[in-house]
Amino acid sequence: MTATQLFDLTGPLALLGWLALALSPLAPRTTQGIAVAVPLILCVLYSGLILANWSSTEGGFSSLADVQLLFASEPIALAGWVHYLAFDLFVGAWAVRTARAEGIAHWMVLPCLILTFLFGPAGLLAFAILRFTLTRKVLP
Amino acid sequence: MTLAPSVPSAPPIAFASGPNRQLLAVTLLLALATVPLMAAHALDHRLFQGDNVWLKPLKFHLALMVYTGSLALYAMLLPEGTFTTPRWRLYIGVVITCILAEVTWIGTAAALGTASHFNIDGIWSPIYGLMGLAAVTLTSLSLAIAPAFWRRRESPLMLGIALGLGLTFLLTVVVAGFMSQNLSHFVGTPVTGARMPLFGWSSEMGDLRIAHFLATHAMHAVPLVGLAGSRTAVWSTALVWTLIVLWCFARAILGLPPF
Repeated sequence: MTATQLFDLTGPLALLGWLALALSPLAPRTTQGIAVAVPLILCVLYSGLILANWSSTEGGFSSLADVQLLFASEPIALAGWVHYLAFDLFVGAWAVRTARAEGIAHWMVLPCLILTFLFGPAGLLAFAILRFTLTRKVLP
Repeated sequence: MTLAPSVPSAPPIAFASGPNRQLLAVTLLLALATVPLMAAHALDHRLFQGDNVWLKPLKFHLALMVYTGSLALYAMLLPEGTFTTPRWRLYIGVVITCILAEVTWIGTAAALGTASHFNIDGIWSPIYGLMGLAAVTLTSLSLAIAPAFWRRRESPLMLGIALGLGLTFLLTVVVAGFMSQNLSHFVGTPVTGARMPLFGWSSEMGDLRIAHFLATHAMHAVPLVGLAGSRTAVWSTALVWTLIVLWCFARAILGLPPF
C-alpha cells in the first residue's frame, strides 16, 4: 500500500474512535475499548512505518531544520500524522475516563474533545482547566 | 449585677457562608483561560485597530473574572443556600453560558483578526445581536441578587452592595446599549490618536468605554464606601457616582473627552 492509501485509511479509523468517545455515556466500557484499541492499532502502523523508513531518512531531532527535513520524507510525514492521531485519541479517552470517575458532566467534556481532535494539546489544556475548575485536581 | 447597655459592635464584614460555587468555578475558568491567551499575545504580531489582536480577549477575561469573582464574594455575606436553590442554580447556569459564549465569540474574532463588537458583516451580524442579548443577561445577575442585600440595608455595607449592584445593571445597560447602537466606542474621528495611560481610552474625543467602565464598577465603588460605616455616605456616593457616569456619558455623546 502506498503512503496515500494508508493515510486515507487512518482518518476514518481515528474518527471511529472519536465518535465512540462522543457517545461514551451510552456505553462507557465498549466505547473506552474502541477509543483505546484504535490508538493501539495506529501505534502498530506507526512502529512499522518508523522501522521500515527511519534508517533511510535524512534529518533528526537536533534542530528545527532537521525536524523539517524529516517531514520531507513521505512515509515519515505519514508516521508523524499517525502519531498525532494515536496520541490525541488516547488523551481524549483519558479525559472521558477521568471526567466520568470525577463526576464531570459529559457535555462539558465535549468541547474539550473537539479541541483535542482538532488541536491536540489545546484540548488537553482545556480539559485540565475544566477539571481544575470543578474538582481542584491536576494530577492523574 | 448590673446590666450594661448592649453596644452594637458588629464587625463591618461578617461572612455568613462560603463563596458561590458556580460563580467561583467560572471565575477560575476565566483566570486559567488567560494563560493560553497570554501565550498567543506573546507569539502573535497581528494588530487590530493598533493593538495586539489578543489584548481585547485578555481584557474581557479579566473584566468578567472581576465581575463573577465579586458576585461570588458578595454572596459570602448572605446565609448559606441563598443562591443555591434549583431556580437560582439554573439562572446562574444561564448567566455562565452567556459569559462563556461572549468570551468564545471575542476569542474567535481575535483569532480571525476581525472585529467582535460592532461587526455587522454577514454571519457576524446576527451573532452580534445574540451577544448583545447575552451581555444583558449576564449583567442582569447583578440586579437579580441586589434585593437580597437590600433587605439587610440597615448595614451600610449591605446597602452599598445593593445600590452598587443595582446601579451597575441600570447604568451599564443604558451606556452599553447606546454604544452597541453607535457601532463604535468612539464618537468622532481620532486625529492624533492620543490615549489615556493603562486603559487606552481616547483623550481627544468621545470614548463611550469610560462611562461603561465606571457604570460597571458602581458595584465596587459604592460598597467600598459602605465599609466606612455610614449609610449617608453610601447614598451620597451612589448619587455622585451616577452623576459622574452620566457626565462621562454625555461628554462622550457630544464627542468630547470627560475633562
